[in-house]
Amino acid sequence: MSVVGFLQQLHDSQLGTALRESLYIFPLVEGTHLIGLALSVGLILVTDLRLVGLFLRNVPVADVLQQLRPWVLAGFAITFGTGILLIWAEGPRIWQIPVFPLKLVLIALAGINAFWFELKYGKTVSVWGDNPTFPKGAKLAGWISLVSWSAVVICGRLIPYLDATQH
Amino acid sequence: MSTQSLFQSLQNSALGSSIGKLDPLVGALAQLFHIAGLLLILTSIVLVNLRLLGVGLRNQSLPQLVKATTPLVWYGLGLLVLSGLFIFLPSAAIYYPNPAFWAKFLLLSLALLIQITLYRKVTSVEYPKRGLATATAIISLTLWFSVAFAGRAIGYI
Repeated sequence: MSVVGFLQQLHDSQLGTALRESLYIFPLVEGTHLIGLALSVGLILVTDLRLVGLFLRNVPVADVLQQLRPWVLAGFAITFGTGILLIWAEGPRIWQIPVFPLKLVLIALAGINAFWFELKYGKTVSVWGDNPTFPKGAKLAGWISLVSWSAVVICGRLIPYLDATQH
Repeated sequence: MSTQSLFQSLQNSALGSSIGKLDPLVGALAQLFHIAGLLLILTSIVLVNLRLLGVGLRNQSLPQLVKATTPLVWYGLGLLVLSGLFIFLPSAAIYYPNPAFWAKFLLLSLALLIQITLYRKVTSVEYPKRGLATATAIISLTLWFSVAFAGRAIGYI
């Protein structure tokens, strides 16, 4: 089955249809997706800015990473959950808009970067976190995260603007 | 002049009409700046309010955390106001009958009021009283997130 075929199935399903035709639920899901960014993207940007030394410099990086992590993850659970619902309702249409697949690629990139960072540097943060300069790889991961999540948000906002079918 | 005709004349103004003639993608840019401003404020108050609730960056000095985030709140507000004007002016007349528009500004006034009174007072000490800190965090978070939701609802009504 092709991607479009799969998305069409979701679209035609009871859940997809109910979401699309709802008066309040769809706006609520979309609103939560956007506003949940404050928790997910907002807090991960705080973490990244700490890694690259631009924000909360007198807070131990281990604290920033470990104490904000549960909230970042909760934020992403909300963002991804609502995002999946949005795809469920509108998949075939938004798949035709190039910035949408691009957005998914950027999310994958950001995710792989985060995973790599956690594996390589996450566990030993209490060790390297006390040094005056952080490992180059950790800082690089911070920059990649900053850039890719910002690009994800930009692509997301452009989806309705670059939809040729709506003009 | 009635509010309604004020809105209409704002839309018809030189600034309002010239913005209205721009490419729609410029509108997308304005919305992105609006999102950026929103994230600056919301993330800042999330950081401080989590601390008030005794979670998140709980080892940090409360006044220090406020000090670090206050500039971000101001930048955020600045971005929101400027981008907001850009979004509002060319279409002012259609916002007038929109209940979400008015709800947003009512909630925003409340949020700002709490920000400069209760929030400022409670976060000025290292260890505010537990009950007061919790109440402040809940009120602050509820108000600011309500502003955001009302703002988003404008586009739907």
